[in-house]
Amino acid sequence: MDFLNMTFLQELLLSTVRMATPILIVALAELYSERAGQVNIGLDGIMAFGALAGFMVCYITGNPYLGLLAGAAGGILINMVYAFCTITLGAEQIVYGMAINIFAPAIASFIYKVYFGISSTLAQATLMTPMPIPFLSKIPLIGPVFFKHTIIVYIAYLLVPLSYIFFQKTKAGLNFRAVGEYPKAAESLGINVVKQKYLACIICGALAGVGGAYLTTCYISTYTDGVVSGRGFIALSAVIFGRWMPGGVLIAALLFGFTDALQLRLQVLSSQTPYQLLAMIPYICTLFVLAFFGIKKAGPKANGKPYFREER
Amino acid sequence: MRKKLLAIAMTVAMVASLAGCGSKANTNTSSNTATPTAAAEGSTETSGSETTPAADKTYKVAMILDSSISDGGWGAACYNAMVSAAEDSGFETLYTDGLTTADFTSSIRSYCDLGIDLIFAPGNQYTDAVKEVAADYPDVKFALLNGTVETENIVSILPDAQQIGYMAGALAGLMTKTGKLGFIGGMELDTTKAKLANYEAGAKAVNPAVEVFSAYAGSFSDSAKGKEIADSMVSMNDVDVMFGDASAVDSGAREALANYTDRFDIGQPSDILATQKSEVVIGSVVTDNATMLKLCMEDLKNGTYGNKTIYGNLSNGSLSVGTFSDKVTDDIKTKYLEYIEQIKDGSFIK
Repeated sequence: MDFLNMTFLQELLLSTVRMATPILIVALAELYSERAGQVNIGLDGIMAFGALAGFMVCYITGNPYLGLLAGAAGGILINMVYAFCTITLGAEQIVYGMAINIFAPAIASFIYKVYFGISSTLAQATLMTPMPIPFLSKIPLIGPVFFKHTIIVYIAYLLVPLSYIFFQKTKAGLNFRAVGEYPKAAESLGINVVKQKYLACIICGALAGVGGAYLTTCYISTYTDGVVSGRGFIALSAVIFGRWMPGGVLIAALLFGFTDALQLRLQVLSSQTPYQLLAMIPYICTLFVLAFFGIKKAGPKANGKPYFREER
Repeated sequence: MRKKLLAIAMTVAMVASLAGCGSKANTNTSSNTATPTAAAEGSTETSGSETTPAADKTYKVAMILDSSISDGGWGAACYNAMVSAAEDSGFETLYTDGLTTADFTSSIRSYCDLGIDLIFAPGNQYTDAVKEVAADYPDVKFALLNGTVETENIVSILPDAQQIGYMAGALAGLMTKTGKLGFIGGMELDTTKAKLANYEAGAKAVNPAVEVFSAYAGSFSDSAKGKEIADSMVSMNDVDVMFGDASAVDSGAREALANYTDRFDIGQPSDILATQKSEVVIGSVVTDNATMLKLCMEDLKNGTYGNKTIYGNLSNGSLSVGTFSDKVTDDIKTKYLEYIEQIKDGSFIK
């Protein structure tokens, strides 16, 4: 077992953080959405559009930071379709989430083909350079794993405690949660439920768009159809897994990133094992944890229900 | 009530916009279909000297694809092959990409219903769907790339995976300094497995000490995963030459290799260095699917379609060596081209 040395461990953890980050960002997006009672299963679609918007802007301007902003803007734009239909029109959230999953990647693919054509190689944009934090990144093992990333990675991890404080310790956060738990009561206390839900959808769209743009501006410098590869759905399950709490979501994202990084390395180490067996590890882990820890306390009570002001 | 009406109106508008995309492409199978105008322009010309039995008929070829035609790898190469073959033979082209496995059959079926003459299924993974639909539509012809089926209306196009593997393996074996090679597969298809096995055999024939590491991404489009795999192969196993059979995943792998010095990748199926500069790609194993597909189209026009497999190998020019990068020294190049001659006449492959 000579491979179990420090380098292996460090590379494994580094890979874990890289692979967990897009899932974490998008899971936080869903967390904000569901806390206001908006189940959005269209994350995969929003990510795909964010990935394209981020890549295009990064390609044209050469600035990955502008790319990330464009990803956020693109994500909001797409999510507003969902928001309008589900909040204002009171339509079924799952159906419109699914519609976004079909509609957004197709439109992204269309724009890419119109702009770049069909060539035998992919267009390449610039990649965001990592920003090692001075001193902290010099600590052995932990330094490179936690403090040698692009700025968006730090922001993603900072968002976890910030979201916790927001939801648990502030009045605005309490109002936000009230909308997801019992919108009628919230309305009677003077909270504008519709406005709050739109706000949640804007945050969700922006974060999910950034999660997509992270893939094409910080991870790899190209865009292909299907680059998201179901990460949106994994993020969706991470929210349930994390019991609608920022800390839980972080653990879920990290566990998924870790098992995925591990299975790739196990494949390289033992080519004799059927790869399908190893590729199942992240999903089996998820099942295992869900089965053991269960969902004793389900999420926000009014989650997924359309809100009609006039209804009694 | 007003809200309900508005909701219905929105739904209609969304559906209409989807249908709008479809009608532009003369087909309504999927939202992301489109007809390339370039191919349509050449559609009325019939190629030069030969006279076809039905010269006034415009033939149509349609392609289905699970990845994207703009994936910069397999999908793009196959699509370009179809367009170039269609231009030469006077076919009109259609395509549907981004299909999931569940949609293969229904997509092929709807093309059959639209009166398409030839359906091009570029990959081993479509075999079952093609077999199923072909039985119901005896008048529609099918070209199955990497397939092994021969019926009245299915012709298989089979580039020699053994030669492809050996060609890549020989170059990798000559170029490696660490003696560690890598291979990334997309899905565990028969052709991918054959390429991997022969890649290893080819490399060992050149350099018996080499070790080959392999991994599957489980996808042809998750380029981020390709980057992770390549990264782990280099950092854990000191792999210095890689070859892949996974389209966009391979371009992710190349990005990881670019972060190191003297780590190389071998491209396929198009000649990557002919159109792009790269520090990582040292050469390509080029498959000319267009020529083989053109043979299918000629057969179709002559009414002699079916019951055969069109093989692609070095001898008939369907496989060839691509452009080399300056990382490949003249010495290695000469040696490699000698090996290629030996692969061609069969003396190299054991």
